[in-house]
Amino acid sequence: MTRSFRKMISTSAALILMAGSAFAGPPEEPRVLNFDNLDKEVGKSGGSIKMLMSKPKDVRWMTVYSGARLVAYDETFQLKPDILKAIDNADNKSFTLHLRKGHQWSDGQPFTTEDFRYWWEDVAQNEALSKGGPPREMLVEGKLPKVEIIDSHTIRYSWDSVNPLFMTALAGARPMYIYMPAHYLKQFHEKYGDADKLAGLVESEKVQNWSSLHKRFGRQYRPENPEMPTLQAWMNTTRLPSERIVFKRNPNYHRVDPAGTQLPYLDEVVLNMASSSIIAAKAGTGESDLQARYVRFDNYSFLKQGTEEGGYNVLLWPSGRGSEMTLLPNLNTKDEGFRKAFQDVRVRRALSMGMDRGEINEAIFFGLGREAANSVLPSSPLYKDEYAEAWIEYDVDQANQLLDEAGFDKRDGDGVRLLPDGRPFEIIVETAGEQSQETDILQLITDHWKDIGVKLFVKPSQRDILRGRVSNGETVMSTWQGLNRGLATPEMNPEELAPVSPIQAQWPTWGNHYASKGASGEQPTLPEVARLSELYSNWRSAANYDEQAAIWDEMLSIFTDQVYTIGIVSGGLQPIVVSKKLRNVPEEGIWAFEPTLYFGQYLPDTFWLEE
Amino acid sequence: MIRYIITRIGAMIPTLLLASIVIFTIIQLPPGDYVETYIGELIASGESVDLERAQYLREEYGLDKPMIQRYLLWITNFVMGDFGYSFEYQRPVSEVVGNRLWLTIMVSFATIILTWVIAFPIGIYSATHQYSWGDYGLTFFGLLGLATPNFLLALIMMYLAQRFFGVSIGGLMDAEYIDQPMSWDKLKSILEHLIVPTIVIGTSGTAAMIRRIRANLLDELQKQYVITARAKGVPPFKALVKYPLRMSLNFFVADIGSLLPTIISGAEIVAIVLSLQTTGPLLIAALQSQDMYLAGSFLMFLATLTVIGVLVSDIALGFLDPRIRLSGGAEK
Repeated sequence: MTRSFRKMISTSAALILMAGSAFAGPPEEPRVLNFDNLDKEVGKSGGSIKMLMSKPKDVRWMTVYSGARLVAYDETFQLKPDILKAIDNADNKSFTLHLRKGHQWSDGQPFTTEDFRYWWEDVAQNEALSKGGPPREMLVEGKLPKVEIIDSHTIRYSWDSVNPLFMTALAGARPMYIYMPAHYLKQFHEKYGDADKLAGLVESEKVQNWSSLHKRFGRQYRPENPEMPTLQAWMNTTRLPSERIVFKRNPNYHRVDPAGTQLPYLDEVVLNMASSSIIAAKAGTGESDLQARYVRFDNYSFLKQGTEEGGYNVLLWPSGRGSEMTLLPNLNTKDEGFRKAFQDVRVRRALSMGMDRGEINEAIFFGLGREAANSVLPSSPLYKDEYAEAWIEYDVDQANQLLDEAGFDKRDGDGVRLLPDGRPFEIIVETAGEQSQETDILQLITDHWKDIGVKLFVKPSQRDILRGRVSNGETVMSTWQGLNRGLATPEMNPEELAPVSPIQAQWPTWGNHYASKGASGEQPTLPEVARLSELYSNWRSAANYDEQAAIWDEMLSIFTDQVYTIGIVSGGLQPIVVSKKLRNVPEEGIWAFEPTLYFGQYLPDTFWLEE
Repeated sequence: MIRYIITRIGAMIPTLLLASIVIFTIIQLPPGDYVETYIGELIASGESVDLERAQYLREEYGLDKPMIQRYLLWITNFVMGDFGYSFEYQRPVSEVVGNRLWLTIMVSFATIILTWVIAFPIGIYSATHQYSWGDYGLTFFGLLGLATPNFLLALIMMYLAQRFFGVSIGGLMDAEYIDQPMSWDKLKSILEHLIVPTIVIGTSGTAAMIRRIRANLLDELQKQYVITARAKGVPPFKALVKYPLRMSLNFFVADIGSLLPTIISGAEIVAIVLSLQTTGPLLIAALQSQDMYLAGSFLMFLATLTVIGVLVSDIALGFLDPRIRLSGGAEK
């Protein structure tokens, strides 16, 4: 009697507890992954893997790797709903978002449109939390969208004219978060939180006010706060800073495998901190189960040596950048002689044709790279051979002829061409000075350019200083990596091809004009560049995929034909250390921040450990 | 003596104030600021940067204020025990440094003790057996340790330790013990990992210590009272330890001044190579990224310790050696 009574009480207590936080598990309508076209196998749950990172800030890579986004790119780079059940897009003007029924945050609280409302009304439009208002992707011609909450699982955002940035921003590697765990963050919000408690927290956390508190505890991209619920595959359980950060699987994750098992398979991902210089050495002794960050191509042979003892394989994934290294002639440089020279397309073409890319590829990249202009990569749906092959042929005669035609036909005693003002054609190339590779490549180009009467000097400096000099127009030529969006699709922002920012070293002043909305900088004077700006604004009002694709095409064609940036070799290789026990990691992939989110595109939630 | 101590403490205040100005100025000297570093990092990893946001960050961190204002804010807070806020770690400086303090002190103590344990016997032996084979041989090894670049030695020893003893590369313990409560296994792991840094950092200090002990002891051994003692038949060991050795220790006490900051800062470069979770790498990273309050407060902390250390050793010397007290006190 007493025993059954006690049992009854404990059962009902358990029931009450469960009602408070609903059953853990995937949503009623999970996202079922189809493994057939992914070349993956159904795995076993459980296990823990280690990765090496260098700074506490690196926890953000977990958000990138994990890859859960409201909408995400599939394997053919098409945008598909992921966290969302569906998204209805009416001409890029109005977007109706449908949430999955029964979807919960990692702490078991329901994920509903209230989380979207909270962000939109109480965060994005709150003066203290978002100075300057909502992110620019939410604005069209400076106007806010109309936000309608239809029910607890449906919400609609609509603008008067098209907003092509909205979807891609949601899918970004660093996504635009238009939702926040309202149930958790309200306690830190002036409007909802208890004033005394807030004041106490401001005091004990040594911050200025409640908004700093809200920002500190509410970071989603960088999951520093272990109490902050998440929708990603793994959730941080460690208070930072720590030398060992443990991510545990999210029991309410929304993806399941074809057999109906909830993902992720791995119970735990542990990030161990080490100084970046010894990470390759540690990975080489098998101390990491999955490592690409802080490992470079020049570590490849060392890593290969340790595969037996370390129990790992080394994969090589080509990088997703448009070019491993580009030369950026500054069309806005303060040096008048070179400004005029570089604004002449013949000079830019001649410089491009005057370098022997084949030799650079053999000497620096072991012949594994692709000699190409700075453009999109062959895996991109926008790729055309003519872009990659624009003005890259090694032809000293034609280069010389182009330079002669451009009016640089006088030479000094050493055979170096002269500028109209009498100075020799000596280009100082400034580098960020971080990799010896850059200097090695420039050394080779120095030799090649001797044949076309151009002298090159290398000036390594430091990343931040270089950036400052670029923005001020003090550089004549600098080097940087090629297009970040080497895997662009028409839906992605083509901003890298148009002058939009003072950071762009080929046209900082024109970029500044756009970025500052005309307050500083200058309007582009070259018709082709002005056309690029125009095309960019056209893209922003393009209503559909085909229009966007046409605009991208024209931009790429101008960009590569005009050789604003001189690409050298693309497809540099990223070594990836993978434990022999870790399965479902594809042999071939592309290593890029966007759109592949580094590992994110290859679904780390499906990686599993074989005993 | 008490007046002497008071004036010395009084002199500390302007010294520290001057130090704080120098520290703050030097940290701000390189072009750019933390926000620049942060933006540079974002660009390098392919993230897009909103320059308007950079301006907000600057305002939030107070970087838009003039330097003198920032300095005054920092130094007044510092005096009141608030060491400021680290941009990089997004935490109060005291917390960031505090987390690493214990391990740093442990490594430093182990190193100092190792240095003493090796240097003392060798120094004494070298002094008593001057110009013998033993003297030359041991000095040679000591100088070898001094001459070998520490970071190189660190790399080689780390590799050997991994290769032959299976000690994981870098760090102060195996990864699974981090943030775990202390246990026998954890202690074992720490001790295993402590060997390489202790030897590497210790080797450089040992040679200098040997030479100093040898020189000071030699000076003392030639004095007449030692010769007299020997002549009177005092046993050799007692004739060495009772007075000459004690007298030669003055330099040792004077060393405390520089020892105190070393204990807290650890060996920076070696710690980076060995990936130790000590304060050294923290300081260097903070200087590189211009995380100014972290770097500034930490350097200020070291400056304070140096000043206190010098004071302590001066007072100790005063007690130890009446000659110093009399002449020093009279002059001041």
